[in-house]
Amino acid sequence: MTYEGRIARLEEIVVELEGTVALSRALALFEEGIENLRAAAAELDNAETRVQRLIEHADGTFETEARE
Amino acid sequence: MTSRRAPRDAGSADLDLFAADRPPAGAGAHAADLPPAPPHDVIDVVRYPGETAQSAVAVSVLTQTARDVIEGAFLPLWVRGEISDFKSHRNGHWYFCLRDSIAQIRCVVWKRDQRVIPAAPDDGMQVAAFGRLTVYAARGEMQYAVTQMEAEGDGLRRKALEMIHARLAADGLLAPERKRPLPRFPRVIAVITSPDGAALHDIVAVLRRRAANVRVVIVAAAVQGEAAPDEICAAFDRVNRWGEADVVIIGRGGGAREDLWAFNHEQVARAVAACGAPTISAVGHEIDMTICDLVADYRAPTPSAAAEAATTSATELHGELRKLSLRMSAATRATVRFQADRRRHLARDLASASVAHVSTRQARLETIAGRLHALSPLATLSRGYSIARDPSGATLGSAAAFHDGMLFALAVRDGTVPAQVRGVPSGSTV
Repeated sequence: MTYEGRIARLEEIVVELEGTVALSRALALFEEGIENLRAAAAELDNAETRVQRLIEHADGTFETEARE
Repeated sequence: MTSRRAPRDAGSADLDLFAADRPPAGAGAHAADLPPAPPHDVIDVVRYPGETAQSAVAVSVLTQTARDVIEGAFLPLWVRGEISDFKSHRNGHWYFCLRDSIAQIRCVVWKRDQRVIPAAPDDGMQVAAFGRLTVYAARGEMQYAVTQMEAEGDGLRRKALEMIHARLAADGLLAPERKRPLPRFPRVIAVITSPDGAALHDIVAVLRRRAANVRVVIVAAAVQGEAAPDEICAAFDRVNRWGEADVVIIGRGGGAREDLWAFNHEQVARAVAACGAPTISAVGHEIDMTICDLVADYRAPTPSAAAEAATTSATELHGELRKLSLRMSAATRATVRFQADRRRHLARDLASASVAHVSTRQARLETIAGRLHALSPLATLSRGYSIARDPSGATLGSAAAFHDGMLFALAVRDGTVPAQVRGVPSGSTV
């Protein structure tokens, strides 16, 4: 799942939890939320800015190449 | 000075006869350069074409010669004056006069030279025009062939901007509702700029500092000079065909106003508007808005600001995660508490509801019983009345129901008394 997807899911979970839910449902949501939070935070910690160049080949295909 | 176009056969013999009859015509610079005139009795030479009637040159020779002389005499130069009689001819060339209070000169801008002039001038504009002086030989008129032009107060550029602005507005490309929101978490940021410019350096530095998890993909294009508009348009075309960019930054670091001209180019503006991904314009110039700024989905004052607008910093994202985490815990706790309370309440409500239910039934029973009692004949009997019933239990309510000797029962308040009729009952006669 993308970072954006995780955040969106987290927001859904929080909104649902803030409404009226059965206890068992609440606990399942909470667990899922915690999992998403952990994964998202891990993704942030491993964030990396890569710089590349767009190269177009003669046949119209594209390639990105790392730029030092 | 010599004339390349002067006919070489001007000194043919039949014209020579008259050549010596008159003093040399058109004596001047040309004559002075020639060797001293020969004695009159030497009649074999015409020293230059047109010296004599016999050697008269054609009009076209004159005007063409004048053209060559004038073109050779003047370096290209800037001339200032006011525009008048401007006409854009069907053939695509521009014609006008450049004048001051006492003189004027006819001017032309050939179609091929119009590319570098931002807009056609208007009558009355004060301009400086760069060109070369020539002669329009067919008419024998001096003509100033202009290749560059600048108007007072940057009038031509302003006019060009206004025209482009109007065309883009007419096509709806400047409408605020066209602006697309920037993605919050772009993975791929395409940067259309010069690969060795300061803009790119600034953008990458900001993204690294913000620890943004992105791929910056450079799409090289010249951002100033004559090739810039075409290269920028080509870069947008590549980005669209590639199709992986989540957001596109187009820009350059600062520069003089002329350096930013590519960003006022109509084709560039249309390429920005047609871009498949949201665009951020980062033409590093805080004072002047460029057309590109107006069309882009977001205008950043500098390339660094563009990088900041395109991404959210890791610190901010961590903060958001923390907030989500807090909200989630609070909501979960609240749910648990709420559900526990609910159970307790439910139990209590259930209990009290049962009690209430029972007492309601009791009350109803009592009411019904009371009503039954009121209707009961027993109540009548308690007041001292009695009821006669035959042996089958049917009530005997009329004298006619009785006959002599008949056995019946009398119900009284506290029991039943056996009874017998004696004699014939007498009913009321109707």
